[in-house]
Amino acid sequence: MTLELQKPRPIWQIMFSTHHTDVGLLYLISSLTFLFLGGSLALGIRAELFLPGSQIIADAMTFNRIFTVHGTTLIFLFIIPFASAVGNYYVPIMVRYKDMAYPKLNAIAFWMIPPAGVLIWLGFADFTWYATPPYSIISAPGPAADMWIFGLKILGISSVLGALNFVVTILKCKHPDMSIGQIPLMAWSFLSSSLIIMVAIPTFAAALLMLLTDRLGVSGFFNPAMGGDPISYAHLFWFTFHPEVYVLVIPAIGMMYEIIPRFSRKPIYSYSSGVFAFVMLSIVGFSSWAHHMYATGMSFTEKTVFMVGTLAAVPASAMHVFNFVATMWNARIRFSTPMMWAVGGIALFFSAGAGGVVNSAMPLDFTTHDTYWVVGHFHLFVMGTIAFGSIGYLYYMFPYVTGRMYNETLGKIHFILSFIGTVLVFFTQHVLGLYGMPRRIYDYPPIPEWIAMNQIASIGAMIIGISMAVFLANMIHSAGKGKFADTDDPFGLGGKYYYPFEAKNPSH
Amino acid sequence: MSQEHPTEYYRTTNSRVGKMLAIMLAICIVGGVIFFSMWDYWISEPPHVISVMAGDVDHSGPAEATGITITQDLQFLESADFRSLTFNAMIDEPGVNPTIEMSVGDKVIFNVVNDGMSFHAFGVTKDTEGFAGVIPGSEIAAPTNPLKPGESGTSEFIAGEEGTYYYICTVPGHRDQGMVGEIIVSGSSGPAVAADPTGVSHEFNLDFVESDDFRTLAFNALPGEEGNNPTIVVNSGDEVTITSLNAGMSFHAFGVVSNPDDFNSVIFDSAIAAATNPLKPGESGSTTFIAGAPGTYHYICTVPGHALQGMIGEFIVE
Repeated sequence: MTLELQKPRPIWQIMFSTHHTDVGLLYLISSLTFLFLGGSLALGIRAELFLPGSQIIADAMTFNRIFTVHGTTLIFLFIIPFASAVGNYYVPIMVRYKDMAYPKLNAIAFWMIPPAGVLIWLGFADFTWYATPPYSIISAPGPAADMWIFGLKILGISSVLGALNFVVTILKCKHPDMSIGQIPLMAWSFLSSSLIIMVAIPTFAAALLMLLTDRLGVSGFFNPAMGGDPISYAHLFWFTFHPEVYVLVIPAIGMMYEIIPRFSRKPIYSYSSGVFAFVMLSIVGFSSWAHHMYATGMSFTEKTVFMVGTLAAVPASAMHVFNFVATMWNARIRFSTPMMWAVGGIALFFSAGAGGVVNSAMPLDFTTHDTYWVVGHFHLFVMGTIAFGSIGYLYYMFPYVTGRMYNETLGKIHFILSFIGTVLVFFTQHVLGLYGMPRRIYDYPPIPEWIAMNQIASIGAMIIGISMAVFLANMIHSAGKGKFADTDDPFGLGGKYYYPFEAKNPSH
Repeated sequence: MSQEHPTEYYRTTNSRVGKMLAIMLAICIVGGVIFFSMWDYWISEPPHVISVMAGDVDHSGPAEATGITITQDLQFLESADFRSLTFNAMIDEPGVNPTIEMSVGDKVIFNVVNDGMSFHAFGVTKDTEGFAGVIPGSEIAAPTNPLKPGESGTSEFIAGEEGTYYYICTVPGHRDQGMVGEIIVSGSSGPAVAADPTGVSHEFNLDFVESDDFRTLAFNALPGEEGNNPTIVVNSGDEVTITSLNAGMSFHAFGVVSNPDDFNSVIFDSAIAAATNPLKPGESGSTTFIAGAPGTYHYICTVPGHALQGMIGEFIVE
């Protein structure tokens, strides 16, 4: 199995191709570009917070712009397109179809991402990735905010088109010999996350339009001066974006389901519980959105309902973790780079989930709400789980994409530094939140504990920055000059691929 | 797939990786040039809703404030059977629904208490029936969020033109049950009229400044510093020239207003720019006008919200 082309073609032919591996390659390259762009903004934020007062960023408004674009970029332009890249490469192969169901739609969905990225990056809006109304309506300056709204609008359409394509490819284009219960778990993860996207995104699309017309002054949905209610925006936003959290994490877990059995050299412990947990997560994901809003004066009953709805995600998440642990139990594990990232990701997934239970417990949430605890919590998810799973999978697919092997030593250094850095930054931020530091602040009073913990977090961020530089160098160098990979067994696992159609391989 | 490969696998080469990096770098450089060369444009355009919010208010602010203030206490009362609702006294008693007489430019301050058992809300309207058309600033609570029994509130009303206004309970139906009183506004004949031009002229500089965190806005200097929001005292009829520089990062506009809570009540033709077309960072503007009737006015930044954040100073005409 090789995933790139059989013969070299000009770059423009790859750019305007509709073949699934070509579109996947475009997704991959653009998402990694935005990973480095968004990550460098994070380093700017951490450098600014190294000490109280102004360090490298001129004023609070610029700081707001930087963390707004940081969040928007890494969520919408790195994590989601990266999952699409992996899905484009692997889902058609997993369901034994020649391409995605709608190849042109697939290319269109990709080509919406660069214009959206340009709108977000040239605008540099300042109203946080949540586009906080009423600030975003009556105060946020000019083209920047409108460009952000249009950029997100385009990204929403792109997500829905991509999701539609995955659902049709998996359900209608799978090989007639395969039942739905035979497709690999990673394809299941794309099926469930795509279904969530199709249900959740339209709400935010509506909210974005309402935000835009509010800014134009034709409506006043979220503008208190015109009789609107900003809290209703919170409901619309989180109805989309709490399920969206599962859209981000489910493909990453799917990628771990590819890596862990392979490097454990054992079949997955329980296929059916993995399927069940994916489906379960995609349903209960919709019962928890208002846990972001306990502090907005909801009634006790509402809070209790959403607390229970949130906790309903715990068994499903735990099933995945148990499944991974049981697969690795007594296995001949080979700790190559992809496996290290996957196992590290599971460990951090577990830690982030434990913190999430504290958040969702409504009385405790009042202590942690709007503090650095929350920042630490969701970063532990998006960095510790989703990015770890994604980067592990990137190492895993690298030989198939380029035909060359990455440098194993540098890959391990990348993992070890990133793991240390992630723990330093985001575990510390949990504690910092308990010490009362609010999130989204540019300057903070010189409280000794706050300074100490911010410095630990900033040093951790620099360690991640160094590890990402190692990663970038490794990718660029190995793509051009790496050793030729054995495309049958690049990791020396001594086995074959376990896709159903390959199991019938005559030489197996 | 371990059978013999029919063709050699293609593997990426150094030159192709280099080409890809060159394309990406070029895109980033072009984007960066566009971004930084147009930095002021990206951060300077006010949302369109500001002009709508500034424009859709019925411009009933006074042309010339008189500085006269009338205080009116009102109580919401209900008869025992809840059939008749009134202000201040029962339906046939003296003092029920008192009529207020005032001149254009006078200010009435309403202190309203809900002494009944039901929910009420207060407002002034020009409509002769119904509960709509409440003049902004005159309302206390609202039908959707009314005053509960025992609660009270305060509001102000400045008559902009001659005629009859009504103060009402804005809860639907309550006006028809009797909770309505008249405000009769006569032409401005009060003692406070503008003096003839005196020929004296003054010049003032009022620059817009912002704190680093944008929380605090002020004129000339931040609160606590020398020269913060200076009080301007002129005589009626003097010619006043005001020059303003926007020394901040946001956008601002200047005006002397009769009602500091209402950024539309600009008087004396004293506006520099407007919320709909404000001064951008670094721009400056000036205005020259004749100070009108004596009274205590305020100069503010007429961009909504900025006066609340501290861009407000006293403008006294003697």
